[in-house]
Amino acid sequence: MTTMDDRFTFVKVDETASEHISAPKYSYWQSVFRRFFSSKVAIVMLVIATIVILTSFIQPLFSGYDPMNMPYINQRDMWFIRPNATYWFGTDNVGNSLFDAVWFGTRNSLIVALSATAITNILGVIVGMIWGYSKKIDTVMLEIYNVIINIPFMLLVMVMMYVLGRGIPQLIFALSCTSWLGTAYFIRVQVMIIRDREYNLASQCLGTPLHRVLTHNILPYLISVIVTSIARDVPNFISYEVFLSFIGIGLTTESSSLGYLIQTYSPFMTSASYLFWIPVAFSALISVSLYIVGQTLADASDPRTHMV
Amino acid sequence: MANDNREVLLSVKHLEVSFYNNKKRFRAVKDANFEIYKGETFALVGESGSGKTTIARSIIRLNPTSDGEILYKGKKINGPISKEDQKDLVRNVQMIFQDPAASLNERATIDYCVSEGLYNFNLYKDEAEREAKVDRALQSVGLLPEHKSRYPHEFSGGQRQRVGIARAMVMEPEFIIADEPISALDVSIRAQVLNLMNKFKEERGLTYMFIAHDLSVVRYFSDRIAVIHKGRIVEIAPTDILFRFPLHPYTHSLLQAVPIPDPRVEKSKELVIYDESKRDLSGEKPKLREIRPGHFVFANDREMAEYEVKLKDMEQNPVQ
Repeated sequence: MTTMDDRFTFVKVDETASEHISAPKYSYWQSVFRRFFSSKVAIVMLVIATIVILTSFIQPLFSGYDPMNMPYINQRDMWFIRPNATYWFGTDNVGNSLFDAVWFGTRNSLIVALSATAITNILGVIVGMIWGYSKKIDTVMLEIYNVIINIPFMLLVMVMMYVLGRGIPQLIFALSCTSWLGTAYFIRVQVMIIRDREYNLASQCLGTPLHRVLTHNILPYLISVIVTSIARDVPNFISYEVFLSFIGIGLTTESSSLGYLIQTYSPFMTSASYLFWIPVAFSALISVSLYIVGQTLADASDPRTHMV
Repeated sequence: MANDNREVLLSVKHLEVSFYNNKKRFRAVKDANFEIYKGETFALVGESGSGKTTIARSIIRLNPTSDGEILYKGKKINGPISKEDQKDLVRNVQMIFQDPAASLNERATIDYCVSEGLYNFNLYKDEAEREAKVDRALQSVGLLPEHKSRYPHEFSGGQRQRVGIARAMVMEPEFIIADEPISALDVSIRAQVLNLMNKFKEERGLTYMFIAHDLSVVRYFSDRIAVIHKGRIVEIAPTDILFRFPLHPYTHSLLQAVPIPDPRVEKSKELVIYDESKRDLSGEKPKLREIRPGHFVFANDREMAEYEVKLKDMEQNPVQ
């Protein structure tokens, strides 16, 4: 069998051919957004949340609403006007437009909730990552955590508000002064799960310093956990604020919030029910829309959902 | 075996590594003694849980040691050491990990995975040089520069292990600890990775410490073999000597466990399962002794005499 068939020729094998990856390039954030925008409910909720947030920060600039200013307090015909074309949400017991009051209140509620969430999560993530990585810090932090977390959160916030007085900065401080410990503990557990994985040992063998291990090896794995935590905190803080203002120790008239409005108008629940229900509806709308957006984003930022 | 005039790169003396579980002490490695010469491939063989990886990790300072010392080029590297020494050690001793799926950061690009060590030690003048180094490292393991922007999950197991090798090689180390680098790979890929490691050894004069439980691979790959059983090294010998004259009963059982690719021989093979409780352990405490130059076995005086007889017998009537 030495004859060569001249219909066959030798072909040189391209060694690199088998190494090529034909799949399109993977990008983490692109996949996150593709996944997020594949949910119609999330898009609707995102639109609602965006409109509410933007309007609440822009509308009060133009309406000139000031809760301390009651120009129609003596004009009986301006009181309790039902929602109509001029006063979309009607007017209240002193003749102020509820539409302006609601946006003003929403703004203050959002300022409190977003600030408290930001402080809680930034502090919580930084402390939690170091806490989870260092065994020495862990023993100390665990004791501090055990002591503080056993004080009922609501009680602590109420005492702080009595001591510090009412107001937006005081409320933000009271809400976030211990809540970051919970987030830090949550992050600590997550860090401990991935701390001893082999790729972290590999980084140690390559001499990677701790700060780069935290930012490159740990933090990217925590994104979906952090987004979940934020998505849970914003509606929580809104409801805390509403509750505190409702029982009368949250915000004052000059910095009226949704909770304050609900408290002020609760006597009219039967007589002019729109005064009570519209702020309640706003509070619910913000909480629900932000929660759903946050949860969908948290799911989308988990790379295990990208492969399907 | 004229080992005496070769340069000793790493020497492990009376090494003991213990783990604690609620103050209960477990000695994973007991009184380990061996030397690795420059330019050789030293294999550490034993069953799962015998302490192979523990030894490797204590050399690279991932596990603290409880007794004994590890010397790298004559310098003590276990226990507390200076920052400079630590840096030196990391630069010169690299590790290839067992599981390529777990040992790469899934959220970092291949570019970052490979250049992580370069960043840590500032081993580049400018961005262009770093990129050139990464490109060269990837090409040397048969990958393409275009892979830099990819993530580890887009690669096959063999490709990932080669990324792991590139990551170690880019540091230009002298000594590489390969912790079962092929046991998680497909059989068809194993030879590729081993050939790659051999290529680097020839090109750069590397020294390997190769950890394995598969003796057929070790036979092909290594110069000297240490057999470890329950945290104790029971026999050290050059590869061909160990395969021809296995003295310790455990080594003997381990060699027998290698399947022979001939069904008739395999079927008629009589397996001897090593059982320490059935052995005669009388006499004084055994220790690692040199029976022939370069051939060490864990024995006491009485066993030594038995092994001597056995060895003479095997030397006179070589099997196969």
